[in-house]
Amino acid sequence: MRYVVGYSANARGRDAVNLAVSLARGRGASLDLVVAIPDAGPFNAAHAPAAGYDSYLHQQAGEWLDEALALIPADVPAKAHVRSGESDAQTLIEACDEFQADMLIIGATSSGLFKRFTVGSVASALLHAATVPVALAPHGYHRRDALTRVSCGLGSRAGAEKLLDFAVSMAVNREVPLRVVSLLTLDAGDSDEAADAAREYANKHLAAALPADSSGAAPAAKADVVVAQGRSVEEAVDRLDWEDGEILLIGSSRLARSRSIFLGSTANRILRALPVPMIVVPSDYELKHLNQSPSSDTSREAQA
Amino acid sequence: MSTEHATAKAAAHSKQDHGLSEKGLKAGSVGLIGAVVIGVSCIAPAYTLTAALGPTVSEVGVHLPAIFLVGFLPMLLVAFGYRELNNAMPDAGTSFTWASRAFGPWIGWMGGWGLIAATIIVLSNLAAVAVDFFYLMLAQLFGNPELADLTTNLPLNIATTLVFIALACWISYRGMETTKTVQYVLVAFQLLVLGWFAVAAFSHVANGTAFDATAIAPDWFNPFAVESFSAFAAGVSLSIFIYWGWDVTLTMNEETRNPEKTPGRAATVTVLVIVIIYMTVALSTLAFAGVGTEGLGAGNPENQGSIFAVLAGPVMGPFAILMSLAILSSSAASLQSTFVSPARTLLSMGHYKALPHKFGKISPSYKSPSYATIASAVAAAVFYVVTRTLSENALWDTITALGMMICFYYGITALACVWFFRAQAFSGAHSFFFKFLAPLLGGVILLVMFFKTAYDSMDPEYGSGSSVGGLGLVFILGMGVILLGAVLMLIMAKLRPEFFKGQVLTRGN
Repeated sequence: MRYVVGYSANARGRDAVNLAVSLARGRGASLDLVVAIPDAGPFNAAHAPAAGYDSYLHQQAGEWLDEALALIPADVPAKAHVRSGESDAQTLIEACDEFQADMLIIGATSSGLFKRFTVGSVASALLHAATVPVALAPHGYHRRDALTRVSCGLGSRAGAEKLLDFAVSMAVNREVPLRVVSLLTLDAGDSDEAADAAREYANKHLAAALPADSSGAAPAAKADVVVAQGRSVEEAVDRLDWEDGEILLIGSSRLARSRSIFLGSTANRILRALPVPMIVVPSDYELKHLNQSPSSDTSREAQA
Repeated sequence: MSTEHATAKAAAHSKQDHGLSEKGLKAGSVGLIGAVVIGVSCIAPAYTLTAALGPTVSEVGVHLPAIFLVGFLPMLLVAFGYRELNNAMPDAGTSFTWASRAFGPWIGWMGGWGLIAATIIVLSNLAAVAVDFFYLMLAQLFGNPELADLTTNLPLNIATTLVFIALACWISYRGMETTKTVQYVLVAFQLLVLGWFAVAAFSHVANGTAFDATAIAPDWFNPFAVESFSAFAAGVSLSIFIYWGWDVTLTMNEETRNPEKTPGRAATVTVLVIVIIYMTVALSTLAFAGVGTEGLGAGNPENQGSIFAVLAGPVMGPFAILMSLAILSSSAASLQSTFVSPARTLLSMGHYKALPHKFGKISPSYKSPSYATIASAVAAAVFYVVTRTLSENALWDTITALGMMICFYYGITALACVWFFRAQAFSGAHSFFFKFLAPLLGGVILLVMFFKTAYDSMDPEYGSGSSVGGLGLVFILGMGVILLGAVLMLIMAKLRPEFFKGQVLTRGN
């Protein structure tokens, strides 16, 4: 298991490192810290050669990575890398390919004053192009212990099965309970009916996703189904209770190119209201690994 | 490629030699045409012509073409030395680092200061030219000439210029860059519009509708016909400015598809393109407007600051708006990319402890020299406000002071090359020419131009004729900036003496 951490020497980078440590601890994963630096664009040439600045940047990036490695506890193996490319997002995606990473972990915030998640430009670019699950650390994330619960946000769109498969195996492998969350935006009138429908839908898919032989997967059998309602998605998210050590999994919008992440508008709004980290899973991500591995081990993240 | 966690922690004190990075640019992205586009865009011919043509005419009159040709020579000679230094010691500090390595910390510091001052001055001039053409374009767009006069409203002009500087600074701080496509379009558009201007001006001359039709004479190409050495020196230091940026093509290496041949060819093609466009525009301007000091004449002090702002309308008619657009776009693009130069030199000086530590900061988010970029913007803004308030013709005087400053730091850089490579000077024909003779000649010429212009500019009538306390404003600006540098250097020597004791950047190989 390898996770790539998109590091920058600021609060956002430290959020990402904390989340990475937390995720790695539950799974025995190793971390690859990557500082992305821009390629010197020759078409922006001015009265200063690009080559010289490049070496300052590499040196500075090396110092930043030393600081970052010092933040990581000894029980989590970590390496540091400097990579350059046209954009930070592109560089991180290439790094994921290079290291065959199972997840990319970044700090999501820009300097959002009022919302926990104000998606920064790099994060937003990544969410449109990444081919591995992207974990987003909220502003000021400081927890470093292993996860205590996995939540899986379920919509009614196609692809829910694969997301649930991923969530189930993640919970099983980390030996934590799973919670399936349906977020409904409703007027008060028809809420009960819709909630029942959502619950039924979630239960149906959960039953299909849970391992047939549940004796070997005791924790996953504890899966809860919760329907949260609110006038807006933000309100529904706010009404749910969230554990400190929780993480929310959501699938990317089906607008996405196959196997890449495109954050739908709903997911974007969830992100703004969410107090815990979120992992966005690309639409066809599970499928690829499903074909390679038998039974319910649906991805490397999910492999025992 | 990567460092194990444990070893990295153990080696945490020895911060150098990381071996972390896959080093270097991705080779082979720029071909010959791309390199020429880069060269032309660095020179920004539409901007340099509008800024320098008038002041140069006021010095040398009809001998403008001769001076434009002669001015290239020292640039060429110095660029050879620049290339040698860049190959031997590629460093973002350029002149600062090289002069420190050759002559020690004090001259090195002043060389760096000269580069920073020149780029700061050109930033303020670029912003001011952009603002002029911004209002001119608004006037042309809405058919309301009063809008163009808004730029003469001092508070409004200063406010708009500061906004332009702040915008460019912000873009540079965010690490955003002009893309290849944008650069191609900008360059093609500039050359097209300048060509159009020349053709239109010549057809006015042919049709007898020119303002002051002047027959082109062979004498215009004779630099020795310039009436005095003072005028010659002033003209040459101005025409250094119009080729400034050309050296970039020579220093491109890894970026090009064929590092052996592309830079040299690109430099040659670039200079041919530039000389052709300069000659055509200079000749057409003189033929159309003459050098008279009345009306549209190129010698009219009113027209000196920005010649195309005055001539584009009468010459190009309704299409003059294209000229405004070309100059506005090219100066805005240069404004943004030029921010990189002082910022990187300041960063380098901060890094080598020649300036306070914070100048060496790199933004963790944008990977740009954060503090240095903002410092450059503040300096450019202050310089503009001071010049604009003191001078009757700020654009004219800043360009003259700028020419002087370029002569100063290029002169130091060229001599640094001669001194740094002195041991190899006579080790072969190539070394002798490129590491010794060319930079020596270039450096001496530029420093002579610098001292001559500095001396002459004490005259209160020099340049636009603005003066402070009986001394010409150009002298005050030029020498003031250099003196300020010397004072700051002494303060720095007190605050952070390591660099000045030669403990950070050592002399010699």
